[in-house]
Amino acid sequence: MAFVTPTATRWVAGVAALVLVLASVSFVVPVSGTVSPVSFDDTVKTGGTAVDVQQAKTDGFEVPVAQAHFSRYRYIIGYYGVGTAAADVASPESARQFGDPLAVFVSDYATVSPVLDEDDYLRTEHNRHPGWVEASDAVFVVDSDARIPSGPIVVPFSDPTAARSFTDEYGGTVVDWETLRERSESSLSGRLDAFESSVESHHDWADQTTAAREPLFDRPVSTVVGEDAPTIEAAVESAPEGTAVYVPPGTYSVDSIDVNRSITLLGAGNATHLVGDGNGTVVHVRADEAAVGNLSISGVGSVGTRRVRATNESVDWDTRVQLAYGRGDAGVVLDGATDSALRNVIIDTPASGVIVRESADSVLDNLTIRGAATPSEGFMGIVLIGEPSVVQHSTLHDGRDGVYTHRADGSVVRDNYMEGGRYGVHEMYTSDMLVADNVVRDERIGVIIMTRPVGNLVVGNDIRDSDFGFIPAGSNTYVADNVFATNEYGMDVSGDRQVYTRNVVVGNNIGVRGSSTFPTNVVVRNDIVGNDVQVESTLGPMRTWTTDGEGNYWGDLPLADEDRDGAYDRAFQPSGPIDSELGRHPGALVLSRSPVMDALRSARDEVAGLRGSGVVDAAPRTEPVRSATLASLNATETANTTGAMTHTEKPNV
Amino acid sequence: MSAAEDLTSAVDDLFTIATRELRTVVRTPAVVALAVVFALTVVGVAAAGSGARGGYVPLVLDLLPFVEALVPLLGFALCYRTVLSDRRSGELDVLQTFGVSRPAYVGGVFLGRSLALVAVVFGSLLVAGATVPVLSPEKPTFLALNAAADSPAAFARFAVLAVVFALSTASVALAVSAAARTARQAIALAVGLLVAFVVGVDAAAVAGLATGRFGIDTVPHLLALSPNGAFRSLVFGVAVETGQATTPLVALVGLGGWLAGALFVAVVTAWKPVE
Repeated sequence: MAFVTPTATRWVAGVAALVLVLASVSFVVPVSGTVSPVSFDDTVKTGGTAVDVQQAKTDGFEVPVAQAHFSRYRYIIGYYGVGTAAADVASPESARQFGDPLAVFVSDYATVSPVLDEDDYLRTEHNRHPGWVEASDAVFVVDSDARIPSGPIVVPFSDPTAARSFTDEYGGTVVDWETLRERSESSLSGRLDAFESSVESHHDWADQTTAAREPLFDRPVSTVVGEDAPTIEAAVESAPEGTAVYVPPGTYSVDSIDVNRSITLLGAGNATHLVGDGNGTVVHVRADEAAVGNLSISGVGSVGTRRVRATNESVDWDTRVQLAYGRGDAGVVLDGATDSALRNVIIDTPASGVIVRESADSVLDNLTIRGAATPSEGFMGIVLIGEPSVVQHSTLHDGRDGVYTHRADGSVVRDNYMEGGRYGVHEMYTSDMLVADNVVRDERIGVIIMTRPVGNLVVGNDIRDSDFGFIPAGSNTYVADNVFATNEYGMDVSGDRQVYTRNVVVGNNIGVRGSSTFPTNVVVRNDIVGNDVQVESTLGPMRTWTTDGEGNYWGDLPLADEDRDGAYDRAFQPSGPIDSELGRHPGALVLSRSPVMDALRSARDEVAGLRGSGVVDAAPRTEPVRSATLASLNATETANTTGAMTHTEKPNV
Repeated sequence: MSAAEDLTSAVDDLFTIATRELRTVVRTPAVVALAVVFALTVVGVAAAGSGARGGYVPLVLDLLPFVEALVPLLGFALCYRTVLSDRRSGELDVLQTFGVSRPAYVGGVFLGRSLALVAVVFGSLLVAGATVPVLSPEKPTFLALNAAADSPAAFARFAVLAVVFALSTASVALAVSAAARTARQAIALAVGLLVAFVVGVDAAAVAGLATGRFGIDTVPHLLALSPNGAFRSLVFGVAVETGQATTPLVALVGLGGWLAGALFVAVVTAWKPVE
C-alpha cells in the first residue's frame, strides 16, 4: 500500500470534497423551472375527434385548445377542447397518475375577434391565431352556440369584457376556471349511469327504427315478375310507388337493377336468386322508403375500392375516404335512400356486400353476406357512410371487414355474427355508435375503433379466436359486458378516458394490453383470468386500474383479505415480474413477501406518472364479477393458471 | 511553537492518521466485501424497481428505504471499533507520546474512514442513477418535455444528502468506539443505536402519536431527532417534493447536530488529557 501516502490522502480528500461541492450545486439549480406554454404541436394530444381536427384544418375554423403541465408527468398534455381539459384535470385519475396540475394554459380569444359562421363554427378575424392564457386567469363562455362537428365547445377569454360581448352575440354564460372544473367533474357512477342510458336510448332508437321500416315489407304486391312484367328491371320500372314487386322462385340473370322509387323488391326467400353479370353493383336503391327482401344475390363485380391514387388538391379527405370505401361494387347499394330497409337477403360477393351511403335511418336486418375467402382479395361486408343505420341479426362471413363505418354517427350494430374476415366491426370517424351483442370468431380484430372518435359504446359482444379482441382509439368509449376469450390479445386499453367494466377476459395469450400514453382510462370490475400473460404494458407510465376503491378480478390469488371487504389487502401488479407469476409458481409468493418487494411496492404507488410502464390494481377483487360467465367458459376452477382453455389454431389472415 | 505551526503539525498528524486508516480499510477484506455487497444491493434495487425505468425522482423513492437501512450499517461496520482497538493495542498511548492532539487523532480517523465510506455510498448511487437513462425508454424528440416533472438534479441532491447521512452515522459509530471500553460494550452500543435509528425512533414517534402523547405538529422535530428521520425529511423536502420549496431546516440542524455532536463526544472520550 505504498501508494497510500499522506500526500495521496490529501489529494483524495481534496477531490472528494470537490466532487461533493460540485454535486451540491444541485441544491442551487432550480429543479422545477418556470412553467410556460409550449407549442401545441409539441404536446401529447388528446380529446377532440379526428373529424373535428381534420375538418378544422380543411375549413379553417377554430378548435379551442388547452395544455396541462403536471408536477409528475414528463410530457405536456394538449387537449383539443377546453371542456375535456377541465374534466381531465379535475379527475381523481389525473391527480393520482400525473400529480398536481402546475399550470393549465388555454387558447385566448380575447384579442382575435371571434365570430361564429353559418355552421356555428368559431372563426377569428383574418384567421389570426389565438395566444395562450393561464386557465386560472381566464374566463370561459359555456353553453353558447359555438360548436365543432362533435359538439358544443367552451370558448376561453383572458378578458371578461370580450367574453361578455361574445355571449351578447351568441348566448351562453361566462364562468371561471374553478366553476368550469366543477361542472366537468364526473364521478364514475355518474358516468356509468350516463353510458347505460346511452346504450338504452340507442337500443330504443334501433327498435323504433326497425318497427318503422316494418310496413315496407307489408306493401301490397302490384307487380309479379314473369306475370306482370318480363324482367325484374321492367317490373321495378313499372310498379307504382308504395307497392311491392314480387319475384317468384327462380334464378334471374340481371344486369343492374335500379330502384328509383319508393317500392319494395320482394322474393320468395332463398329460392329467388338474382345473378349479376359480374360487373358493378347488382341492386341500386336510390329512393327513400325503398326496400329489398327475401332473396339472394350473387354475380357482384369484383372492384372493392375506387381509391383516388393521385394526390389531387381538389379532393378533400372526406371524399377521398368515401371514394375508397363507398364506391366499390356491392350486392346492394343504398344511395341517399333514407328510411329504407334490407331484410332476409343473402349476398355472395367478391367485393362488398351492402354499401349504405347517406341513407339515414335505414335498417339492415337478417342479412347473410359471404365475402372473398381471403380478406385481402375481398372487401367490406357492410359499409355505412354519412348517416346512422341499424345493422342487426346478420351473418358476415369472410371478406375484409364485417361492418365498416365512415361518419355514421349514432348507428347501431347489434346481434350479428362475424367470422373469418379481417375486422369484425371497423369504426372510422364515427362517434356515438353502439356495437352490441355481436359474436365474432376468427378475425384479425373483433372490434376496432380508429380516428379518435368520442362516446362509442361497445357492450355485450363475444369475441373469440381472433388476433385481437378489441382495440379502441379516441375517448369516452364505454366497453362493458363483453367476453374476450382465447384470442391472441384479449382487449386493448388505449385512448383516453375510456371506461372498461364487467368484461370477461379469459384464456387469451395476452389478456389485456395497456398501450396508451394516457393513464386516464378507467378499468374496473373486469374478470381477467387464465391468460398466459394477464397484462402487457409497454407504453405510458405506471397505471392504476382501481377507481373508488374498486378493482378487477385477477383470479384466485394467494393473498390475504383480512378485513373481508372483497378486495385483497395489498395492491397487485399484474404486469410485474413477480405478481404476474403469483398463484402459478410458489416461488413468486415467497419472493413477493420479501422486505425488498414490500419496500418497492410501497414506493411504486408514488409518482406513478414518472415510473416505468406497468399496471397496478390497488384493490384486486377476491371474487369474480361475472362468475356465471366464467363458469360457462370453464375458467373458474383454474382461475389464474394457464391452460384453462385451449387456443384454437387460426388460419393466417 | 507558534499557533500556526501548531495547526500545521496537527493537520499533518491528521492526514498521517487518515492515511493509516485508509490503508487499514483497504487491507481489510471483510470491509471491502461489505462495500461490494452494498454497491451491488443499491444497483440491484434500482434495477428491480419500476423507478429507474421512468426517472430520477421515482428512483430516489425506490432507493430511499434501502439507503436508510444500509448506510448506517456500512458506517457502523467501518467505524465502531476504530478508537477502541487503538486503545486496546496500545497505539493510543504511543500516539500520545508523539504529542498528537485529540482533535487531530479523531479527525484523522474520521477522515480516513469517511473517504472510504463516501466513495462507496456516492459511487454506488451514481451507478444506480446511471441506470435511469439506460433503462428508461427513449423519449420522443418531437414532444416538449415538462422540466418541472423530473430532473437529475433531484437525484444529485439525494446522493449528497446520502453522503451527509453516511458521515453522521460514521461519526456516531466513531463516538461509540471512543466511548466504549470493551468490545462487548462497543457492539452493544453500536447495534443498539443502529436499531434505534432504523426502527426505534420512528416507532416511538408513531407510538407517541397513537397514544396522543404529542400532536402531529411535533413530528418534524421528532424526525429530526434521529439521523434517519432527519435524512428522510431532507430527501422528501428538497429531493422529491421539487415543486414545493419548504426546506426542512430543523432536519438539517438535526443531521448536522448528530455529525458534530458525535465527533465532539469522540474527541472528549478518546483519552483523558494529561493535566
